Amino acid sequence: MYWHNFPAKQTFLAKPVKTKIMKIKKTSAALTFSAFLLFTVPLLAQNTPALTDPEIASVAVTANQVDINYANIALKKSKNASILEFAQTMAKDHQGVIDQAVALVKRLNVTPKDNAVSKKLNADAEKTKQKLNSKSGKDFDKAYIGNEVAYHKAVVSTVETVLIPQSQNAELKGLLQQVLPVLKTHLGHAMMVESNLSK
Amino acid sequence: MNIKRSIAGLMFLGIMLTACNASTEKTIPIKHVVEIKQMLFQPAELQVHTGDTIEWINHDFVDHDITEEKNHEWSSGRLTNGQSWKYVIKKTTSYFCSIHVVMKGKIIITGE
Ligand SMILES: [Cu+2]
Repeated sequence: MYWHNFPAKQTFLAKPVKTKIMKIKKTSAALTFSAFLLFTVPLLAQNTPALTDPEIASVAVTANQVDINYANIALKKSKNASILEFAQTMAKDHQGVIDQAVALVKRLNVTPKDNAVSKKLNADAEKTKQKLNSKSGKDFDKAYIGNEVAYHKAVVSTVETVLIPQSQNAELKGLLQQVLPVLKTHLGHAMMVESNLSK
Repeated sequence: MNIKRSIAGLMFLGIMLTACNASTEKTIPIKHVVEIKQMLFQPAELQVHTGDTIEWINHDFVDHDITEEKNHEWSSGRLTNGQSWKYVIKKTTSYFCSIHVVMKGKIIITGE
């Protein structure tokens, strides 16, 4: 299948290419600049999936739905108050993001389109759900919140480095820019719950 | 006689009004606004006088609340987008959002 051909770590966690232009000496500036073009442009093309707006909308909805599904597992399995409160916040906030995204694509008359990134998100989520469902008690709580920390880190990175820069429509870009602080707050919240669990 | 009385009355009224003004100007409670946007209380720290009213307005599309941090002595309950809530602060208080527990704010009482 298509997404199996996609380089696993590079699609979702695309990291910005770091270039140390500061160190370039004036004399070799022109030469280095051509080298920069030769090497970094193909790198970017390989690392960062190129997405259209309908594909970005699909990734946004999928990423939020995946976290709602994790939250629903936690709400069923956990007995820890801070895990349950966190999961309730995740379910409510991520549904809020989906509602905003769905309203926007309707208004823009856009149909979200499946793509390599959204497919990979779903495939990874299936594996994670199986892992979570196989655990119980404190083991479950640890696995759930550990995954929430990792997942929100990955989503924050994807929204920052792929979805926002590649959005063509200003309203879509604006919505993603509004979603970013929500995701960062969730990450902080997850890290806090995680560190309290291990105390 | 009438004129004298009237003048005396007016003077008395004048003195009273001035006195009232002078004594009330300092203690008239005012309203402060804390905006909740981009998952932050803005400003996060606010200096007020005892009896001042604080109004929080939620501009985010996700719900927030305003809850006393230490003992959960008071809480606004859920505020949806566009909703606001008022509270009169009587002592220096740290508060947080119990939905997003990393969101924090503080009201500092600076005097009467
Ligand atoms: Cu909140």
